[in-house]
Amino acid sequence: MTIFPKFVKSAIISEKLRSAIAAGIHQIGEIEIRSFDSNSRFKLCHVADVDGHEGSGGEDLTIYQGPGGAREIALEGADGSNRFLKAQENLRRGWVMLLDTVEDLRLALDQFYPACVGLWLAEQEGTLEVEHLRDKLRRQSGMYQRVRVLSDEALQKLVGQTCSSVVPCARRLMWQLDANTPLLPSAASCRSGIPDGTPAGEAIPLLCREACNHFVAECLAASKAAASPASGHSRPA
Amino acid sequence: MSIAPKPSSALLIVGHGSTQNPDSSTPYFEHAEEIRRRGLFAEVHCCFWKEEPSMREAFYLFDSDEIYVVPDFISEGYFTQDVIPRELQLSGPTTVLRGKTFHYCLPVGVHPSMTGLILRRAREVAPHADPAATTLIITGHGTGFNANSTKAIRDQVALIAASGAGYAAVLDAFMEETPFIADWDKLAPTPNVVVVPFFISDGLHSYQDIPVLLGIEAEIGPAASQREVFRHNPHALRGKSLFYSSAIGTEPLIAEVILDLVSDFDITHKH
Ligand code: SF4
Repeated sequence: MTIFPKFVKSAIISEKLRSAIAAGIHQIGEIEIRSFDSNSRFKLCHVADVDGHEGSGGEDLTIYQGPGGAREIALEGADGSNRFLKAQENLRRGWVMLLDTVEDLRLALDQFYPACVGLWLAEQEGTLEVEHLRDKLRRQSGMYQRVRVLSDEALQKLVGQTCSSVVPCARRLMWQLDANTPLLPSAASCRSGIPDGTPAGEAIPLLCREACNHFVAECLAASKAAASPASGHSRPA
Repeated sequence: MSIAPKPSSALLIVGHGSTQNPDSSTPYFEHAEEIRRRGLFAEVHCCFWKEEPSMREAFYLFDSDEIYVVPDFISEGYFTQDVIPRELQLSGPTTVLRGKTFHYCLPVGVHPSMTGLILRRAREVAPHADPAATTLIITGHGTGFNANSTKAIRDQVALIAASGAGYAAVLDAFMEETPFIADWDKLAPTPNVVVVPFFISDGLHSYQDIPVLLGIEAEIGPAASQREVFRHNPHALRGKSLFYSSAIGTEPLIAEVILDLVSDFDITHKH
């Protein structure tokens, strides 16, 4: 059972974000953050469109004023797939978002990468609580209780399959199976949460502090399949 | 009811969400945006069971030390009584956790103003249908999984029947329990029938399953195009005119219900 530490009372998240940008942070996941007017206005775009919005071919980019379009942009990948894991590396290109306040920047980033700014700030301050997988599975109720029976081996396999599927989730896995059982080295477990080639001090890492509910749903499917190998998957919610 | 601004408090709307249907969490964000626009709270955020941010991640969204938690669920039940308290670590109406105070409000669906929202939705979907020649059916899932949601629907039926709205009949019907929604034409004594799904969002039930049971769709189709289902009213089916509404939780006035629940919390627990 995880006990949360006492939280350090902190200044406003947005102001910390502004300071981080002033200190050189300019990327989160697949998004480039540019600031203007002494870090009071901001511009976001897909990292692959940076040249576009610098003026060479930027005419093709759809301009969004304010954070309102962030959820829509983040909803589906370029191929129309449903991005229910927002850290999946298939964010749509072709847009630029103009934000007039740091609060709007924070709102937009919380739509693109939910809670990731707050998670990162907590990690910086030493207040981020990591919850290991067995704790998460133990507290499941209802039909999800059966996930507790999965073996360590099955869980290690699920990490590789779920966190590094066809379109991998880019979050850094911070949890282990339990306090004494680290994840086996794999493409998934070795991710830094920062895009390849970006120096650590220039990007906000995407952090996974506990297994997501998609992961737990995959555990449920695996435990059902193990119980009756012949049965197919039921439709998830 | 109007709510006094709470500039040092935050609002957290908790929803179910879905990994299958990208539209299903849209109403939560719309309600959050509407409330944010009014500037009543220092912060307004959403979190989910099936989507990101999760309930435990939501803790990292807030600057505020006082947080009102409103479950955007249709009734009391497994999620409001088991999952949300467990995930947010709430132990009662008010819980102090790591220096923050959480107030746990009642779920949206049990608020008395839902009755008015259903009537409004029914009028919107069939503006020219004479209520005296119209049956209003409120439909839900049914089965023992959540007896409270069945009860919530029956309560609404009783309230609307007693409201003087003038419908020839007001009925409950369910996907998996009698009276079955598939029998809507036999249940309804009138030429016009309005069906309002008592769900918090348009998910697979309202897009896919109920349209098949009603006979609007021959078979379950792809989720992405299902909004079309709501655009072709009335459906001439089984000798009647059928008007099918989107889920009640998509109604923009749910934002008001969320604010009412915060006010109600203060009245009940703070005075
Ligand atoms: S468990 Fe974490 S890393 Fe794995 S898919 Fe879910 S969010 Fe991504």
